[in-house]
Amino acid sequence: MGGLTSALIMSAQALLADQGALEVTSNNIANVNTPGYSREVPIYNEATPVQLGSLLVGQGVTLKSIDSIRDRLLELRVIDEQQQNSNAETQLGFLNQVQALFSNTSQGIGADITAFFNKLNQLSTDPTSIPSRQAVLTAANNLANDFHSTVAQLASIQTNLNQTVVQSVSAINELTTQIASLNLQVGTFKSLGKDAGALEDQRNQLINQLSQLTDVHVTTTEQGVSLTTGNGTALVVGGQAFALQTSVNSAGAQEVFSLGQDITSSITGGQLGGAIAVRDTTIPSVVSQLDDLAGGIATNFNAAHHAGIDLNGAAGQDFFSPLVAGPGSAKNFAVLISDPKAIAASSDGSPGSNGNIANLLAVQDQNLPSGDTPGDAYAGLISDVGNAAAQAQAESQASSLSLQQLKDQRQSISGVSVDEEATNLIRYQHAFAAAARVITVVDQLTQTVISMGSP
Amino acid sequence: MRVNPNPTDDILATLFQTQQAEQTALQQISTGKRVNQPSDDPAAAALYAGDVATEARIDQYLQSVSSLRAQYQTGDSTLASVVTALNQAITLGTQAANGPNSAGNLQQLLQGVQAVLSQVVQLANTSFHGSFIFAGTATTAPPFTLANGVVTYNGNSGINYSEIGDGTSVQVNVPGDQIFQQASGNVFGALQQLVTALQNGDKTAIGTATTAVGASLQELSVQRSFYGNSMNQLTGDEGALNQLNLNLKTQDTTLVGVDLSKAATDLSMAQLAHQATLAASAKVIQPTLLDYLR
Repeated sequence: MGGLTSALIMSAQALLADQGALEVTSNNIANVNTPGYSREVPIYNEATPVQLGSLLVGQGVTLKSIDSIRDRLLELRVIDEQQQNSNAETQLGFLNQVQALFSNTSQGIGADITAFFNKLNQLSTDPTSIPSRQAVLTAANNLANDFHSTVAQLASIQTNLNQTVVQSVSAINELTTQIASLNLQVGTFKSLGKDAGALEDQRNQLINQLSQLTDVHVTTTEQGVSLTTGNGTALVVGGQAFALQTSVNSAGAQEVFSLGQDITSSITGGQLGGAIAVRDTTIPSVVSQLDDLAGGIATNFNAAHHAGIDLNGAAGQDFFSPLVAGPGSAKNFAVLISDPKAIAASSDGSPGSNGNIANLLAVQDQNLPSGDTPGDAYAGLISDVGNAAAQAQAESQASSLSLQQLKDQRQSISGVSVDEEATNLIRYQHAFAAAARVITVVDQLTQTVISMGSP
Repeated sequence: MRVNPNPTDDILATLFQTQQAEQTALQQISTGKRVNQPSDDPAAAALYAGDVATEARIDQYLQSVSSLRAQYQTGDSTLASVVTALNQAITLGTQAANGPNSAGNLQQLLQGVQAVLSQVVQLANTSFHGSFIFAGTATTAPPFTLANGVVTYNGNSGINYSEIGDGTSVQVNVPGDQIFQQASGNVFGALQQLVTALQNGDKTAIGTATTAVGASLQELSVQRSFYGNSMNQLTGDEGALNQLNLNLKTQDTTLVGVDLSKAATDLSMAQLAHQATLAASAKVIQPTLLDYLR
């Protein structure tokens, strides 16, 4: 039977519900700037009514649950875009270092090649001049030095990339361990039919961080989320995390292993994927082009040099090493001649002849095995390096833009609006005040009832 | 519809973009280049690298041209001195052949011609930067030796060519025997003939020998024209090389140079955008409903 007591109980319940709602609001406001936080809303529920004769009488309100507002598909898309973005940005960072080696047209290998042949041209006007011959050797040594330093700098970028790989893998392992433990906690809440709100936010935030490091595929299962990377290698399944390992291969590169299997080449996203792409694809291609260039110049020039006769009357020796072009040519490129007289400029054996210099000069227009002249090969290298960096830059810009849009979209759904919370604050405050007022009224009514019998 | 309640990330991203645009424009203006690293325009960067190499090659061709010119000038002025010396020999020979000369006079004339002979030998052994220019390619030793009144050529008939343009070569030297010892006019032969005739005091022989010296002088002048012609060719080639250089520099400007007016416009537009974004952000960030609830 409805009465004053039941009105009092209903009001007390309303006070509790409104207090809960105020707590949610204050929690939202407190987390307005927390990354990855999804706003929460209190879900009020009408209490089950009581049938009094022919009447259904309402029994007030209960705070059924506190739900986090999130769009899980959108969150997956954010993760996808994140790994592309961080891949492109990692590549861009390292490719900028690579292209810096080829940015200066007045220095470096290209300028050295031209300078070397120019000194030979100078020598042709005065073939017995020792200073001119020395200048040719100096220019040749400059070329060798720049081949060495360029290859060495590329190798040092690769060393940095190796460190990035190791650091990324250790960060990935730390994140997957945390995600696995959160998976368990979320599972416990879910099994009780509760919203795991804050825990799910934390897990999403960690997955987000993980997607900056590597490509992550998220599958939602009954045990929570399963995370896989690359070609489907498991990172997290339920409460278990599978750590990745790194190990140095014969070439000195850090390879990534999962449960003993080499998965390096299958990792394509995130910082790890970007670092592996630059380390294993871009830089080796640059080095191999440098090897072709160095090896081609060395073998072509040696052949031309053999045809001549030096200032001592001997047949031209090998001028450059390596004698056979192949991998490592740029690294091993060296000038084998130190005596200026050993430059074989003469074609007829007389010291003043410059007949062989024309043959030596022809090397700069002679095709390398790749089908290009040395100058064209170097220009092609610049264009390749530039294109790789330009592509990474374009990808980074495009993915930044779409990542920003996706985050905007996520924020428009899950973000805390202070305006909204202020409105809710007033709403719940008023509701609370009204419920409290009801209690006062019921109190007065009860007083009236009590004092009915007294004189 | 709900909108993103926290636009600060967007604002920051926009600010970074406008700042980036400002920096790019500023860098372009300060370097004068549109392409500052290969990725700015890979194709243009590659073409530019080729151009720079070609320009360096042209610079070298121009340097070779100037050292060749110096060699030609040395050759030409040496031969001019030889011409003067030969003319003097002809004067002496003519005097000996025509005038009534005492024995003492003849002796003097003989000494004069002998002096001319040794002077011409000395001239024929002229070196440039340590290389004997009339020795063919055997440039490390003096090509002519005078012993017992007989001149011998020790050089060879080698000829050097130097590249002064892609596919353009010029002859650097003329071997000494070709200049001084042609069959149609042998300078040393004629002078030796004159010396012998003067020693014998045979007027007819002196006359013949003087005519032979004249013939050798003509032949020498023909050979000397090589230097004049070559210098003319150098001047022509130099002009062409300079023109090519100019064309390449113009092409460079088109390839990687910055259009200053465009860059300046870009800069002021980027500045404007940046300032506008800052001003707008300052207004957007402040108010919330809480500012109005009191």
